[in-house]
Amino acid sequence: MLTIDPALLAETDEQAQLRSVLREFFADPGADWHTLAGQIGVPGLAVPERYGGAGYGFRELAVALGEAGRALSPLPLLSSAVLATSALLASNDDEACARHLPALAAGTSTATLGFGTVDAEAGRLRGAVDMVLDGADASLVLIPGRTPAGLTLFACADGFTRRPRRVLDPSRPQALLEFHDAPATPVGPPGGAEAILAAARDAGLAGLAAEQVGGCEHALEATVAHVRQRNQFGRPIGSFQAVKHRLADLLVEIEAAKSAAGYAAACVDAAPDELPVAASAAKVVCSAASVRAAAEYVQLHGGIGFTWEHPAHRYVRRARTSEVFLGLPHEHRARIAALLGLDDGGANVA
Amino acid sequence: MTGIPDPASFRAQARAWLGTAAARRGETRAWGSGDDSVAVFENWTEDEERAHTERIRDWERTRYDQGWGALSWPVELGGQGLPPHYEGLYRAEEAAFDVPQRTEIFPVTRHLVAPAIGIWGTEEQKQRWLRPMLRADELACQLFSETEAGADLAAVRTRAVRHDDGWVLDGHKVWTSGARVATWGVAVCRTDPEVPKHAGITVFLVRMDAPGVTIRPIRQMTGGESFNEVYLDGVVVPDADRLGPVGQGWKVTLSVLAAERLDSGTLGLDNADRAIELARRCPAGEVQRDLAADLYIRTLVQRVIGLRITAALEAGTAPGAEASVGKLYATETMRRTTDLVLRLLGPRLVADTGEWGTFAWTEHLLGAPGYAIAGGTDEIQRNILSERVLGLPREPR
Repeated sequence: MLTIDPALLAETDEQAQLRSVLREFFADPGADWHTLAGQIGVPGLAVPERYGGAGYGFRELAVALGEAGRALSPLPLLSSAVLATSALLASNDDEACARHLPALAAGTSTATLGFGTVDAEAGRLRGAVDMVLDGADASLVLIPGRTPAGLTLFACADGFTRRPRRVLDPSRPQALLEFHDAPATPVGPPGGAEAILAAARDAGLAGLAAEQVGGCEHALEATVAHVRQRNQFGRPIGSFQAVKHRLADLLVEIEAAKSAAGYAAACVDAAPDELPVAASAAKVVCSAASVRAAAEYVQLHGGIGFTWEHPAHRYVRRARTSEVFLGLPHEHRARIAALLGLDDGGANVA
Repeated sequence: MTGIPDPASFRAQARAWLGTAAARRGETRAWGSGDDSVAVFENWTEDEERAHTERIRDWERTRYDQGWGALSWPVELGGQGLPPHYEGLYRAEEAAFDVPQRTEIFPVTRHLVAPAIGIWGTEEQKQRWLRPMLRADELACQLFSETEAGADLAAVRTRAVRHDDGWVLDGHKVWTSGARVATWGVAVCRTDPEVPKHAGITVFLVRMDAPGVTIRPIRQMTGGESFNEVYLDGVVVPDADRLGPVGQGWKVTLSVLAAERLDSGTLGLDNADRAIELARRCPAGEVQRDLAADLYIRTLVQRVIGLRITAALEAGTAPGAEASVGKLYATETMRRTTDLVLRLLGPRLVADTGEWGTFAWTEHLLGAPGYAIAGGTDEIQRNILSERVLGLPREPR
């Protein structure tokens, strides 16, 4: 465990530059997909050059996700550039990659990945999958279908209806997709969906963790700025230990989250063997940090933090949505326990 | 060593040298037999403390004499002249080897006291003190806290009064680890009671065998004696042993404390690893598995924090907040280790059945609270983080 080169945990100059460009980009309320994809080239960052991408790695993509998460951007990076793109790459299906990835990398098309299952028969999908991230807008949907050969991943572009769900976090749209004999083409080998989904899910967790850290950083910075200038009892509330100590504890938790997220992002390219543990660890640590950061964002702003107009509630909505997405923290602890060999302790009594 | 090897080849050289000088870790500590101590603070008699100190001293001398000690110190002061982070690179490699586990007094001497001498000492003092300290020939303990000066260290009342060409010290210091094996004690003293408290402090190095120095062990809550109180009754200290200018002692003290805060990154990891191993070998229900996985995640994160610091140092940039959160993160790891072990062992933790590796955990349970107090309490650490990292306004003082 933990064999990666420490240098992969430090930001390169190039990454810092990308971060600063994107911070400015996402700070603009008009930040649009066309600019993000076409001009800055973010969806193609981790796509190999042979499929029309820029051929950087997941760490660069994670920088972008961190900035998107900081701003709670609703643009479909996590669904299209992480989940769907990772699934296509993990399928090792050269034809599917060549067909779909160039458009996804260029951002002229977006895709998403559904984690439910439908029935697949003779290249037609039937059934429904709910709570698909960005499912109402994605041009392409990747979905596992039950076939005689086992669970197989399919790509589907039409022949289904989309019903957007009312969601806790409007910046993270979800939809019910209903397939009525929708034409679909298999991606990857027959019966190969589970391995592809596992790889895509772990990359998704690493991407989500990067977003979560970005959100945490915003919440901490905004709260620190507020308690420094908000005066009560004739002094800044940030000079009271009851406030300072909460923020110090939050800082510790956010540094832990940054560490876990940075490690998971590095593992995607550099240590795939360590990724399952790293991804689940990141989910646990970054979820706890974001929920706490968002809660402190509200609490330490007092009444103004509880208003609709103040952005703090948007971070609460995102933090709780991310906590649930791709498995709850306790489910990821159970996964780590199993990976550590902790699930059959009774068989081997000390 | 000639020139400065790049970090990767330095680590490879360190690994190669360690391979010739020590056994790899993990090959030496079997589960179920042998030493089952997980003591946070050793419970040693004076004779045992001396014997252990000698064993560690042998290793420290070996590595110093073979060119693997005092890595970041200038060559003229007996070091290897490498960049500051090479010490961390070496330690990352050494962690994989079974070398004598250093007691507190060794890092106190090398990482806390020696750098303060490097900053504040005169040329004569550097020549006289640094080489013996870096080679562990002479060890130095901290004479800092007093009964009325704990978190508020600048409130020290131990007096140092000028007398002929030296000083006479009178006072009472507490919580000194290693006092019985130290050659020197770094004493924070009040030399001017008339000025504001931070301005009237001066630091001296006191010989621990000087007439008037009395050392009495403190029995801490574990039942063992790892710390001491030190009485200074008319102890004569030559002016040549004053560290830093008269009245500037608070700045000298702060250099020592800053080093102490950064020296705690790996705290608690050994015992957390062992608790997770215990979870693998105990019948565990859902709650225990959840706690064990959570503790495992903490150990992973604590190590990644350490790697981030290494990475920053390797890149030649100053580590950021990750370097300051280490102690608070580590004390929480220690508490959660206790929580997990209690749920795994239940009654076997609180009554000694003689079974290997069970009741021994009481040493951890009782020792862990000490680290949330020593070296700046958790509360003081939070003040430091909020004021120096987050930039929040200072407490009214």
